[in-house]
Amino acid sequence: MADLSISVRQVGDVAVLLPAGFINAHTVRDFEDALEKLVTDGRYTILLNCKDLNYISSAGLGAIMGLIETVREHGGDILLSDLQDNVFAIFDTLGFTQLYRVFTDENQAMVAAASERKG
Amino acid sequence: MAAKIDHAQFKLVIPSQTRYLNLVTGLAKRASLVAGLDDAAAAKVSIAVDEAVTNVILHAYGGEGEHSVELELRFTEQALEIHIWHSGLGIRSDQMVLPDPKEYIKHPRKGGLGLLLMSRFMDEVQFKADEVSGRNECCLIKKIS
Repeated sequence: MADLSISVRQVGDVAVLLPAGFINAHTVRDFEDALEKLVTDGRYTILLNCKDLNYISSAGLGAIMGLIETVREHGGDILLSDLQDNVFAIFDTLGFTQLYRVFTDENQAMVAAASERKG
Repeated sequence: MAAKIDHAQFKLVIPSQTRYLNLVTGLAKRASLVAGLDDAAAAKVSIAVDEAVTNVILHAYGGEGEHSVELELRFTEQALEIHIWHSGLGIRSDQMVLPDPKEYIKHPRKGGLGLLLMSRFMDEVQFKADEVSGRNECCLIKKIS
């Protein structure tokens, strides 16, 4: 099995990115490429569904951090859902749960994204 | 007569290539469980080792893949110790500057988080230089509670 595979689907205005496996210094380029392609395509509201993400190192956090200002400047955001306990611990330890909105599951994230569009 | 080995420690040497990160983090997680840590603590040790070995590969060796990284795991009743040896550029513990997470959130940027994760997830993180061998060491210690 590859260390990391990434799939993307569009749900309304939200691009849902599902990384499966490990995001570390070896795989981060693929993760960055996937995120950057979404931004290049003008898809600024991005949900990272992390249900199959086994871990993310600081390399992966840096990739997210590198794009957060760009997407927010365009009225979008990067949302997180379905974090496994150890992945949540990484985000929480570094205070990233204050910087990103974290949802229990994808449905909750979609409801929040939809209510913002109405708002 | 065959030399006796210490059954409470062993070594692994890998090439300085990120393709082996998953191998060493998997080993670190399993070793943590063997040492008596729970799943959550084992995951944290795994991440800390990822960050430490990544630092060696990318920063100490500048991304050059033809060097070696030596990991030594020591099991004691009190702790799991992971010693990571290399011959690249070293840092000392007094040179270790940790970013302030609150400031980091106010002013997001890439980089600087690996050392913070290591220090938060391990009980001790030490950087040492061995002047005799010319090698540098990063020592990660997780206490068994």
